[in-house]
Amino acid sequence: MRRGSDTRLIHLGALLAAAAIALSFPSMAPSPYEITVGIAILNYAVLSTSWNFVGGFTGYISLGHGAFAGLGAYGTGLLVARAGLPPFAALFTAAALVALIAVPVGYAALRVRGASFVIVSIALVLILLLVFQSWASFTGGSRGLVVPRPFPGMLRAEHHRTFYFLFLALLAVTLSAWWVIDRSRFGMGLKAIREDEDKAQSLGIPTYSYKLVVFVVSAAFTALAGGLYALWFGDLDPVFQFSVLGGAYMVLMALLGGVRHLYGPLLGAVAVGYALEYAKVEYGDTPLHLVVAGLLLGVVVMFMPDGVIPAATALIGRFRRSGETSIREVTAAELRERREQPNRTEVKDGERSGT
Amino acid sequence: MPSASLVLQSVVLGVLLGGLYALLAAGLTLYFGVMRVVMIAHSAFLILAAYLAWYAHRETGVDPLLTLFVTVPLFFAAGVAMQRLLLTRLRPATLTMMSVLLTFSVALVIEGLLGYAFSGTQRRIRLGYSAAGFEFLGARVAVVKLIAFGLAALALLGLYVLMKRSRFGQALRATIQHREAAQLLGIDTDRIAGYGFGLGLATAAVGGTALALDTTIYPSLHWHWIGPLMAIIVVGGLGSVPGAAIAAMTLGMLQSLLQLELSTTWAQTVFYIALFATLAVRPQGFFGGRLAQRF
Repeated sequence: MRRGSDTRLIHLGALLAAAAIALSFPSMAPSPYEITVGIAILNYAVLSTSWNFVGGFTGYISLGHGAFAGLGAYGTGLLVARAGLPPFAALFTAAALVALIAVPVGYAALRVRGASFVIVSIALVLILLLVFQSWASFTGGSRGLVVPRPFPGMLRAEHHRTFYFLFLALLAVTLSAWWVIDRSRFGMGLKAIREDEDKAQSLGIPTYSYKLVVFVVSAAFTALAGGLYALWFGDLDPVFQFSVLGGAYMVLMALLGGVRHLYGPLLGAVAVGYALEYAKVEYGDTPLHLVVAGLLLGVVVMFMPDGVIPAATALIGRFRRSGETSIREVTAAELRERREQPNRTEVKDGERSGT
Repeated sequence: MPSASLVLQSVVLGVLLGGLYALLAAGLTLYFGVMRVVMIAHSAFLILAAYLAWYAHRETGVDPLLTLFVTVPLFFAAGVAMQRLLLTRLRPATLTMMSVLLTFSVALVIEGLLGYAFSGTQRRIRLGYSAAGFEFLGARVAVVKLIAFGLAALALLGLYVLMKRSRFGQALRATIQHREAAQLLGIDTDRIAGYGFGLGLATAAVGGTALALDTTIYPSLHWHWIGPLMAIIVVGGLGSVPGAAIAAMTLGMLQSLLQLELSTTWAQTVFYIALFATLAVRPQGFFGGRLAQRF
C-alpha cells in the first residue's frame, strides 16, 4: 500500500485541525450564546455517536435511544437532588444503572429480528414518558425536576465554558470507544451481523450476546450524554427528555453523516444541530420544524441511506482514481444489486467502511 | 373492590374500545403482511382522518360519518401511492428498518402540518346525539361509542369477507403467505401489495372517523395510539389478522378494567407490559405463524 502512509498523514492532520478548532472555539466565540450552541451540537454528536454503536455496527435501527438519554438525565438529576450524591458520582452511577436497565430491554428487543426491535424501542420511550409524567411525587412530573448546579460558585459564562470542554471530552471518549470496537474482532462480528445475520451465526459468531453487549454499551454512552446534559441545563421535563423525536434526531444525524463511518454521526450532528438551533432562534417553536425534520429524514432514507461521507468519497475517488485495492468491503445490498444486474461490473469504491 | 355494575360498565367500555383497536391493528397487520413494513404513520393517518371529519363538520355542519365517503377512497389511493412511490423504492435488503424511518418521517410531516393548519388546540365534535345514551344491564352506553364500535365491527367484517371470499382476497393472502409462489401462480404481487397497503390505510380512515365522534383530538395524539397498536400486533403475532383482533379485544378490555383501580395513564402501561412479556416468553407472538418467527 503505497498511499497508506499518505492517507494516514492526511487523516491525522484533519483530526488535529478539527481538534484545534473545537478546543479554541470557546475563546473565539463572541458571546456565551455561541458556546451554548456549541454545547448543544456536542451533545447531539455524543448522542448520535452513541446511537451508532447499535445502528452503525449491527444495522438495527433504534428509535428509542431518547429513552436512555432521558433515563440518564433523570437518574443523574434524581441522585443529586433526592439522594444527595456528588454530581459526577451521580452521573456515572446513573449511567451504570441505565446499562443495567438496558440488559432486560435488550433481552426482549433483540430476541426477534428487525421489526420487533424497532417496536420495543419506540414503546420504551412511550412507557417511560407515561411513568415519569404520572409518578409526579418522585420525578416532579410535568412541573419538571430542577437539578442543582455542580459548580455553585461559577458564573454563567464560566459554567458554559466548563461544560463545553466536558462534552468535548465525552465526545472524544465515545469516538475512541467506537474506533476501538470498529477495529476489533468484536466489531467484525457485529458488522457481519449487519450484513447477514444467518451467515454470521453459521460462522460461529455468538450473534445474540454480541448484539446485547453492544446495545448495553450504546445505552451507557447515551445515558452519560443525557446525564451531562442534566447537570448543564439544570431543568428536566419528561416531555422533552422522553420524546420519540429526540431519538429520531439521533437517527437522522447518524444517517445523514453515514452510519458506517466514525465521524459520520458527528458530521450529521454539526449540520442538523446547527440547523435546529438556528431555526429555534429565527422561527421560534412552530409545528413546521416537525415537517422539516420529517422531510429531511425522508429524503435521507430515500436518496442517500449511506450518508454524505460515502457520497463525497465516491466523488473524490472519481477524480483521484486511488483506493483500487484488491480487497474491499461490499454491502449485502450492493452484492444483491450486482447479482440482479450482471452487466454492471464497475465497483464504486466509496463503500469501504472505516476512515 | 368496585361494584358489579361498575365492572360491567368497564367490560362494555372495554369491548367498545377493543373493537376500534382491532380494526386499526388489522390495518397494521396488513401492511406488515404484504410488505414486511412497520407502518408508524398509521396512527398519524388515523388522526388526520379524525381532523378531516371534525373540519368538515365545523365548516359545513354535515354528520362526521358522511366524511367516510370521501376519506376512505382518498386514504386508499394515498396508501397505494405511498406503497408504489415510496416504499418499493427502498433497498430490499434493509427494507424493514428503512421503512420504519420512512413511515416515521411521514408521521412527523402529518403531525407538523396538522399543528400548522389547525394549531395545537384540542378539538372535539359536538353532535346532537353526543350526550345520548342508554342503559344496558345497568351499564350506561353512550350512543356515539356504540356507533364507533359498530363502524369498526362493520369494517372489520367487510375486511374479513373481502380477504376470505373474493378473488382479490385470495391473491392478497397468497402474496402475504409466499410472494414468489404467488408470482408463479400469475398474481401481480406488486399491484396486490399496493392494494393491500391501500386497504390498511382505509382502516385508518374508518377508525379516524369513529375516533372523532367521541374523543378530543390534537395533533400529537397519534403517539398515544401507535404504542398500544404496535404492542397489539406483536402480542397477536406479526402478520396474523385474527391474532391482532384477539389481542386487541383482550388488551382493550384489560386496560378498561385496570382503569377502575388505577389512573388512565397507568392503565395504559398494560400494553407495554404485555409487549415485553410476550417478547420475553414467546417472541413470535401468541397467534403468529411462520411469518413472525423471523421478524
